[in-house]
Amino acid sequence: MIVVQGVTKRYDGEPALADVSIAIARGEFAFLIGTNGAGKTTLLRILLREEAFDSGVVLVNGVDVSRIRGAALTKFRRRIGVVFQDTRLLPNATVRENVGLPLQVRGRANREIDLAVDDVLERVALADKSERFPRQLSGGEQRKVALARAVISKPDVLLCDEPTDSINPTHAREIMGLLLEINSDGVTTLVATHDSEIVNNLRRRVIRMDAGAILADEPVGVFNSG
Amino acid sequence: MTAKLNVLRYILGAAMLGLWRNRTMTLGAIVTTAVMLVTLAAFLAINDTLNEMVTALGRKSNLIAYVRDDARPSRVTEIMRELEQRRGVGEVVFVTKEDALRTFQERFFDQRDVIDILQANPLPASVELRMDDPAVLPGLADELRAMTEVFESVAVPLDVVERLISISNVSRAAGTAMIIALTGVALFVIANTIRIAVYARRQEIEIMKLVGATDWFVRGPFLIEGAFIGLVGATLAAIALVVLYLQAAPTVTRIISFLPIATDVSFVRNLAVFIVLVGLVVGSIGSYVSVRRYLAV
Repeated sequence: MIVVQGVTKRYDGEPALADVSIAIARGEFAFLIGTNGAGKTTLLRILLREEAFDSGVVLVNGVDVSRIRGAALTKFRRRIGVVFQDTRLLPNATVRENVGLPLQVRGRANREIDLAVDDVLERVALADKSERFPRQLSGGEQRKVALARAVISKPDVLLCDEPTDSINPTHAREIMGLLLEINSDGVTTLVATHDSEIVNNLRRRVIRMDAGAILADEPVGVFNSG
Repeated sequence: MTAKLNVLRYILGAAMLGLWRNRTMTLGAIVTTAVMLVTLAAFLAINDTLNEMVTALGRKSNLIAYVRDDARPSRVTEIMRELEQRRGVGEVVFVTKEDALRTFQERFFDQRDVIDILQANPLPASVELRMDDPAVLPGLADELRAMTEVFESVAVPLDVVERLISISNVSRAAGTAMIIALTGVALFVIANTIRIAVYARRQEIEIMKLVGATDWFVRGPFLIEGAFIGLVGATLAAIALVVLYLQAAPTVTRIISFLPIATDVSFVRNLAVFIVLVGLVVGSIGSYVSVRRYLAV
């Protein structure tokens, strides 16, 4: 569950988020849409506690994000899966090592990690590319690896920042299919995107942002409405 | 417990893999470390030789206290024992009247006239001090002069001593200043090289933190890599140092015979061990500090 209430964030005095309030129920799927600079990425970064905010309240899985420090922050992040806009795969690690990283940090045994990696790579159709390095993959494949890494630890919340950006429509559709599949397992999923086709086809909840503010929150929205 | 062992195994594996996959950076850091430490070690050896040279010159400056003929032998012995315990005093030798005459006769063997004049032995017995540290000579001379019941006079080459003291002070101060400066430069360059290597992988650190890694999980491989770079660089430096020193020292000693170069193995061995320890510590600390700044994610 995600609750954001009256959150404000400024960069050098310029407002990035202005009194933003949203609530996403456990197991819900929602799109966060808006143009570049609307504040989508800033909001996702705040939800992961990658970024601090100036005022307001943010609760993720019942945890007050502004209060967590040290070991509690590590524990908090282990319950959240993230697909970053720039994928942030480790360039010097293979697909297998990248995907297995969230389990490595938990101290899981190598055998258990290998089985879990095989399973999730099967799910994203990259089982045959497990020993490749990110630079040897296409943009779409890299996003799938990022998605596999985000879900391997079975998180409660999945945050995706432009997961279909700069990839071909086939890969984009595959990724969205995977996101829906993951969401159907009960994972609260928030997807920031400016991919109108995906949003219009899926007919899910749409939270529309502009200039750091929430413009609209529609239970079944389309990209160009409002 | 099992989880911790798994993490430890991962950290070790990741460190080895990190070193290999970033081998250009690793090699650069190792070579830089080795070059800096060889330079530092070479300077330490030169500085040691200079200090030895000054000390050796100091040993050549003697104090001679001429003993009164009527001085009590037991008192002279007592003073000699006391002098042997003094800081800066290397050797205390008693020269009897007979020894003094013999030396005189040997020195002036071609001047029979002078020797023939000497019916009785007019030369006094003396206590000769060979110094480790010439700086204590002036004070010591004053003390002995004050013992008028034992010594009739005290001879000390004060101008030479003063010059030696000033050379010794300048040499030690300059040497210490250079060692501090060079150590600072070496540590800075090594730590900076490691910092650049860590900077190149800062995104890796951020990613690990964002997927829920603890600080030690992230830091561990970097710490091992830094220690490895420091250790290997320093070991190479130590090997180069030992080979160069053992090859060069005898040759230099043969050409410049007055140069008191320490040719024994223990000196160069201690220097090598010191260099390896410096490399290990700087490598580890350099990594620890460099990684810390990227952990605040």
